[in-house]
Amino acid sequence: MMQRIGLAPLLRETVATPYSDLVTRSTGAALRTRIEETISTASHRTTMLDFTAVGLIDFSCADEVVAQLLLRVAGEEEHYVLLFGVSEHHLEAIDHVLERHGLSVAALPVGEGAPRVLGFASPDVAMAFQAIQRLGAGDAKRLGESLGWTVERAADALQSLALRRLIQAAGGTYRPLPLPA
Amino acid sequence: MRVIDVPVSLEDRTLDQLAEGIGAWPPEPFLLNAHGTTWASPYGLVSLLTLGQALHEAKLPRARFAVPESAETRSYWSRIGFFHWASDLFELVGRATRRPFDTPSDVLLPITPIRAFDDVSTVVGKIQERAQRILASEINLAPKASVRFVMTLSEVCQNIIEHAGTGGWVAVQTYYWKKRLGRKVVVIAVSDAGIGFRRSLEATQARQVGERWGDGAALELALMHNVSRYRDPGRGQGLYHIRSYLTRWQGKISVRSGTARIAIVPPWDDDPALAEQLPFFPGSQVQITIPAQEEGDPQ
Repeated sequence: MMQRIGLAPLLRETVATPYSDLVTRSTGAALRTRIEETISTASHRTTMLDFTAVGLIDFSCADEVVAQLLLRVAGEEEHYVLLFGVSEHHLEAIDHVLERHGLSVAALPVGEGAPRVLGFASPDVAMAFQAIQRLGAGDAKRLGESLGWTVERAADALQSLALRRLIQAAGGTYRPLPLPA
Repeated sequence: MRVIDVPVSLEDRTLDQLAEGIGAWPPEPFLLNAHGTTWASPYGLVSLLTLGQALHEAKLPRARFAVPESAETRSYWSRIGFFHWASDLFELVGRATRRPFDTPSDVLLPITPIRAFDDVSTVVGKIQERAQRILASEINLAPKASVRFVMTLSEVCQNIIEHAGTGGWVAVQTYYWKKRLGRKVVVIAVSDAGIGFRRSLEATQARQVGERWGDGAALELALMHNVSRYRDPGRGQGLYHIRSYLTRWQGKISVRSGTARIAIVPPWDDDPALAEQLPFFPGSQVQITIPAQEEGDPQ
């Protein structure tokens, strides 16, 4: 099960603005606090932040809403974050602030069928992430065969993905994050 | 009473003349004489307001301000909102319409105070529709580049709230730079009466920099090295992004604070990259200039 948090409605509830832009660090911090409260009241392992109907997002707000949220979630056991409805206008700011912190997140951009990694990702991590979206659940052997890698190389990439909460790990196997229906 | 003449044309290059006239800070009471002034850029106008605000915050008497003789100049200054705000900060001498009306078509954002984060959100929300239309039709910025422009505006306005410790002003206007560039430009002008870059960074940076520490060194750290007074790596990124966008658009940013001015200078301009030991002017002033894009320019 996945928890969906619509950022545009949450913004209006949080800062009483007629606009749908995620701008300023203080707006971002207020919104993140609301997101954290919402996450803490639910038992879902995956939270989907829905950017649908969000206008633009600036760097300061992206830093608070996405980067600082991931830093906090990293302290919780097995909680995953997926970005949904991310438009071309949002990608640049989010990607950059995550890279700056050495963080990454899975995001499903508007009009794309599969998620991609935003933020920091080594070439192996990026390739393995894409492959897992195609292959579905599996293990290092299966991924290695698919990409023509040794099992060790595939296992390293999978471990990096799991540590970054970009895939879910379960008893030696891995599976992609659940996507919205 | 001392009379300080406002330059005939008040803009980023001539602000130093005005600062020189004011002299040491805090200044003796003076009359600011704009009687012969025929033109002022948004940068010039928000800087004048900053001067009035700085006097007010220093609890000095309000300066008298002789309005321009030219009816056309007065009318324009009214329409961009200057007299509306100036009437709170100066004792205006001469006839001027204080209420802003009928914003000129080349003004994307009339002079607007930035006192809190909410003001930044409002500015961003308000400017988008107008900015996208004008930036597309007159500056030839692609829609994606227009979004970056608004993000730039947001970050530069936030700098006021985060670092100045007081409020400031912003204005956005397009105009034709016939002599300097031969193209239309869009200009963002921001000015605040705050503590300036040197004082903002002093506690964390002065000791490391050593003898060279001053307004120039502080500006260099902030603009060229993304240094912020906060230790969080997510901070200090606003100016970095502004810089990277401007490089793409062959744009220019110039930041004046205290007695120094730093600029990222595109090929079409000849400003020095760093000017130090300028006459003191209160607060910080930022001007961002983006020239109209031509076919083949990267966006």
